[in-house]
Amino acid sequence: MIRILKLYGTLIGFALIIVLFSVLLPGTFLTSGNLINISQQISMLAVVAFTMTIVMVMNDFDLSVGSMASLAGVTAAVLFSLGYPVYVGVAAALLVGLLGGVFNGVLVSLVGILPFVATLGTLTMFSGLAFLVSGGRTIFGRDIPSEFSGFARSGVPLDSVGLDGLKLPFLSLVALVVLAVVWFVLEQTTYGRRLYAIGGNKEAARLAGVRVKSLRLSAFALTGLGAAIAGLMYSSRVASANPTQGSGLMLDAIAAVFLGMTMSEEGEPRVQHTLVGVLILGVLDNGLTQLAVDSYIREIMVGAIVITAVAFSSITKQGR
Amino acid sequence: MHELSIRNLSKSFAGSPALADVSLDLRGGEIHALMGENGAGKSTLIRILAGVETADALELEKDGRRLPLANAKNAYDAGFRFIHQELNIVPQLSAAENILLGLPYPSRFGIAVNWKELNTRARNALSRLGIDHIEPARQAARFNTGDQMLIKIASCLVDAEGMTADLYVFDEPTAALTGEESEKLFRVIAGLKESGAAVLYVSHRINEVMRLCDRVTVLRDGRNALTAPISRTGKEEIIIAMTGRSVEDMYPPRSRAIGAAVAYAASGVSTKEVSGLEFELRAGEILGVAGLANAGQSGVLRTVMGLSEPRQGRLECLSGAAPKSPSEAWKSGIAYIPRERRGEGLMLQMPVRDNAVLPHLDTLRRLAFLADRRGEQAMAHKTSEYVRLKAAGLSQPAYQLSGGNQQKVLFARALGKTPSILVLDEPTRGVDIGAKYDIYALVRELSEAGCAVVMTSTDLSETLGMCDRVLLMRDGAQQAIVDAAGLTPADLLRRIYAS
Repeated sequence: MIRILKLYGTLIGFALIIVLFSVLLPGTFLTSGNLINISQQISMLAVVAFTMTIVMVMNDFDLSVGSMASLAGVTAAVLFSLGYPVYVGVAAALLVGLLGGVFNGVLVSLVGILPFVATLGTLTMFSGLAFLVSGGRTIFGRDIPSEFSGFARSGVPLDSVGLDGLKLPFLSLVALVVLAVVWFVLEQTTYGRRLYAIGGNKEAARLAGVRVKSLRLSAFALTGLGAAIAGLMYSSRVASANPTQGSGLMLDAIAAVFLGMTMSEEGEPRVQHTLVGVLILGVLDNGLTQLAVDSYIREIMVGAIVITAVAFSSITKQGR
Repeated sequence: MHELSIRNLSKSFAGSPALADVSLDLRGGEIHALMGENGAGKSTLIRILAGVETADALELEKDGRRLPLANAKNAYDAGFRFIHQELNIVPQLSAAENILLGLPYPSRFGIAVNWKELNTRARNALSRLGIDHIEPARQAARFNTGDQMLIKIASCLVDAEGMTADLYVFDEPTAALTGEESEKLFRVIAGLKESGAAVLYVSHRINEVMRLCDRVTVLRDGRNALTAPISRTGKEEIIIAMTGRSVEDMYPPRSRAIGAAVAYAASGVSTKEVSGLEFELRAGEILGVAGLANAGQSGVLRTVMGLSEPRQGRLECLSGAAPKSPSEAWKSGIAYIPRERRGEGLMLQMPVRDNAVLPHLDTLRRLAFLADRRGEQAMAHKTSEYVRLKAAGLSQPAYQLSGGNQQKVLFARALGKTPSILVLDEPTRGVDIGAKYDIYALVRELSEAGCAVVMTSTDLSETLGMCDRVLLMRDGAQQAIVDAAGLTPADLLRRIYAS
């Protein structure tokens, strides 16, 4: 019984939240339109949380993902406003994400700074860079090409599966693709097996022939890339870019991974569990907004739920 | 003189009995050894005495009075003190602070810590143990493991007003100590006995027990198998009581001559840790590395593993250039079992399988990057069977295994690909006698098959029983290489001191 609660407590909580909202919001919450809407709302957070899982598998953190998302967004937007084509802006933003991630990786694995300290430093640096690049202003309107902002507004028609007139948004699709790729990398490749070994015991992994330094560096690069993808998705969705747009992502992404970690037997992060964490945060946000609950109250509730889930799982795990 | 009697002690976990009707009598002024293979119930007994685990049934009497034992505070109030092999010392604090950690520090005006008084009290506690070489104001991290253990013992001596400890429980105290450090510890334990305290001494090391203890109790499968005075008990009798079978000879005999091929050679090598390395390791040979405490034994092994780069001299490896990192070492067929099983060896939360196959993922993968789960399962199955691992399954996390079986997981890891050189740092440390025998047989079998072995051991009879030659180290420098044949442990010890 305890074992079931330990492993499935978070999932049961998620189910209860859905039941609660369906009762409180009859006819509006559990509709395919709203669910598709949720999938789009959470897609940016999902991408950041999925790629955050890669570093958290190794017991590391990346606090700089939020400002990286902002930096990537404004980088693309500034290039658009200078008249560069969409693919140049997008490629440049992704490159910025990759390089920023590599920079984090160098600090953590080669220089040997604690991830918390190193990425706290780059958080500030990336944020400052975003202001520098954008000149501190929001880039919007005619500066953002319609091909770019149109991406977030279109999707794959779902008429064939009986949902006439609805579309699966491209943003949701991107999140699904990132999920599949991260799952594949972590669970199905030798690269992923080694990242888990590093998370289990860094020194033991090194002595067993795992090249800890280069793997850690590359994992941070992937997380940076994920943050840049999320930044682009956000800019596309709101058809604008400003230097603070991504700031809320980091805490929510880490919270989602922690929620997911409560679902595995030994408390290790798994990207499929991170998905549940993201869904919990997304559904809460959507439902509470529809219930017109004040946004401050919402923040208190989200924080309390994360703490409850983690506390619950550590209490049940101590009991064994 | 206190008498502590434990009667009718039973405890089961999820229906399977860990202790069944065990009794044990401890007397003041006596060192009582508790022995048994891993899983025999020693740890459970200690955890119950410490009040960490609750017994299903227990009659505990001290000097004829019933004692309650429901939690750790009961145990403390009863005067029980515990010294474990894994030290819970705070390395950042000074020795004196560690000694007085559980108590209110002496202070001036109730606010500022009175450091002088603190150090004096610590020094008094140390001198009651006959220890004068530990400077109380020095940071605990700067002492070696043996001295840290002495600090821990001293902390058991300083109690709140009017309290005295009547029973000291030592759980494998010498597992992490060198011979010299152990000697110091033995003198301190003998002093505790003189002072009238009862000592319960848990150890796998039969020679230590024969020397140090007055009586012995052996547990097998959670039951009393033997209780007898040491003076009237032979080693063989204890081993039979522990294992239920007779061990004719711990060390399997060598039957084949050493090959001519040189597997690994060092000439004039110095690194950050060691100097003057000059040896040839031949295929099929077992080379021991011995010396006093921290004389560079591990440094020799770390050099072979590519963990410490040579500043001068040449390293050569039969299978090509000498490796410059552990990753290269494993690739060129050098397998390593590090000294610290938990800190350097295992991913404790991860399954046996993942632990066993980790260095061999490259040989198992498909399409250059895909993990081959079925291949991993097959390799782990084969190697864990080969090392006679006892686990609930390959998915069992490593932390749930006994020390001996955890060590076998590391051996399974070393055997994933047949190694050409096996590097073993204290391969039987904290391992029970049955698993020890399995490990000796395994190492012998590998060397017979042509694998070169280089190993360290603080147990000199193990070094002589297993090795063909012994490389002697002193202060990080190689002194000599001696032939093991015909030497006794006393001879070897003499050579170590003389070199």
